[in-house]
Amino acid sequence: MKPIRIALTKGRLEKDTVALFDQMGMDTAAVKEKGRKLILPVALPEEMSGCGRTVEVVLAKAADVITYVEHGVCDLGVVGKDTIAEYGGSFYEVLDLGFGRCRFALAAPKDKDFFSGYAVKTVASKYPNVSRAYFGGKGMDVRIIKIEGSVELAPLLGLADGIVDIVETGSTLKENGLRVVEDVMPISARLIVNMACMKLRKAELEQLIAQMEQTLEKRRVSQ
Amino acid sequence: MKKNLRNTPDGTRDLLFEECIARREAESTLSDLFLQRGFSEVMTPGMEFYDLFEGGGHPVLPVENMYKLTDGKGRLLVMRPDSTMPIARLTAARLKNAPLPLRLYYMQDVYHLNHGMTGRNDQEFQAGIEVIGAAGERADLEVISLAAESLRRCGVENFRIEIGHVGFFHSLMEELAVDEDTRDEIRTTIETKNYAALGGLLDGLPASEAAAAIRRLPRLFGGEEVLEAAAPLCRGEQTRKSLEYLAQLYKKLCGLGLGDAVMIDLGLVHRNEYYTGVIFRGYVEGSGDTVISGGRYDTLLSRFGMDLPATGFGVNVDALTKVLLDGGRVDPPMPPEILVHAQKGYETAALQKVNELCGEGILCEFSVFETLEQAQAYAEKRCISQVFSVGREIDVYEI
Repeated sequence: MKPIRIALTKGRLEKDTVALFDQMGMDTAAVKEKGRKLILPVALPEEMSGCGRTVEVVLAKAADVITYVEHGVCDLGVVGKDTIAEYGGSFYEVLDLGFGRCRFALAAPKDKDFFSGYAVKTVASKYPNVSRAYFGGKGMDVRIIKIEGSVELAPLLGLADGIVDIVETGSTLKENGLRVVEDVMPISARLIVNMACMKLRKAELEQLIAQMEQTLEKRRVSQ
Repeated sequence: MKKNLRNTPDGTRDLLFEECIARREAESTLSDLFLQRGFSEVMTPGMEFYDLFEGGGHPVLPVENMYKLTDGKGRLLVMRPDSTMPIARLTAARLKNAPLPLRLYYMQDVYHLNHGMTGRNDQEFQAGIEVIGAAGERADLEVISLAAESLRRCGVENFRIEIGHVGFFHSLMEELAVDEDTRDEIRTTIETKNYAALGGLLDGLPASEAAAAIRRLPRLFGGEEVLEAAAPLCRGEQTRKSLEYLAQLYKKLCGLGLGDAVMIDLGLVHRNEYYTGVIFRGYVEGSGDTVISGGRYDTLLSRFGMDLPATGFGVNVDALTKVLLDGGRVDPPMPPEILVHAQKGYETAALQKVNELCGEGILCEFSVFETLEQAQAYAEKRCISQVFSVGREIDVYEI
């Protein structure tokens, strides 16, 4: 039987997912001492034998997790809601994993009222699709400029009236004279599943998903 | 600059050799099957008026995903994004008086403009059938079992056909009585099995039986147990009817020996607005794509002034052939057995020999080289095992 393959977003979400796997009794030593390998085996405990003996963990950049899952070369993926909102795609989004929490927010220079006046506002963002959907929902016509790096720079340099970006604590904003005008959407890590795999490997995947869900529930209760 | 001289547009590709063999095999298997089952082939133009797919505000495909062009009068055309609409059009235009039901099949490309380099195909070869003018269980049963048979005949061993019913979702939503935007949001979360977001949406609505049923919807997929789990959730008459109908259909499909292949997904809600009853999808091991998509569309023909119930499905033949190729189930093309070389002055005799050998069903190739040595060297490279040198007599050289 082919092992279940799960793509993890490298970095913080990877660490949080591995911690979840540890709590589920999986042997994640290979992921922790991965070196340069990108596909790593994780042994499953006895009580999860319905999912096979191991699962394969694949480490990828956030947007690539979606691509691998959409094409079905990975059955499952762990990716932030930010990436899902920006890139979209067709897959099942079955679990809110609860970690990797932050939010999208609209921020602007603290001494200015972003919504005042009739001039078309310019918004800088690493997430142009999220920005467009957000302002579209408000019925506001804005000019969106895609910025790749530190978006906070754009209003400071006078390129934009505001930014749409991920906000965790808000300290970067504060240090640069910006403040949150409005929250756009909350973000957390999600478990996504390829649509065909969900149907073809129903029993195995459901058991794994149920185990993850139970473990998350246990965490919630103990908190 | 001629920078696009050697590549094909995004989402398209050339097919070579065994890829063609696999594709043609799948095509002929499917067309044989459809012909045997009484279907007749139709072909529709590669481009159509955009109006056909506009669908009264619910286009078959978002407008930005259609390839558009204009005709000589400046009218908007699209490259065929779907075959069901053109077939509904031709039925209304040319088959008004034909005896019903109409059984039509098609094998043609459809075009979808995919943005970004996602690796998706913009050109997809589809084979499919439409049964027009037949309502009810018998037609649904035939179409779903034919979908399963299509995969089986092509040599696919491990596949799933999931069936659902749009009536189930529609009537639950009616009981819920929410505005259209919320309804669309709820549909999307069910379609993507986004349990968390669906829960969030429903938490904001007053608690009701319908809300409780909708909350469970995306999880209700699987075998017979799904029907049992769903039964207590369906209090409304319409939902109960849809569920009973699915149960009947499922039982009969099991009776056809499809119990392992068919599953029920009550959370199956098609984005296509034209579906009205039973809908289904097919998945094949080795492909992350939806290989079959179909369902009942009883109101579509009325847009063309014909009030006829109909049902059908389409097979993504490209995805299917990829599975067959990846599984090593297609042999590369054979080299010819014989290379026929003509000695000087015997060119016509050699060509006659080629015709003669072909007539016997032997694969052979005519040599265009001047000398026997060149012909032999070529035969070796091409893995042709014999060279016939035609002169006054025929000399045979084993390579």
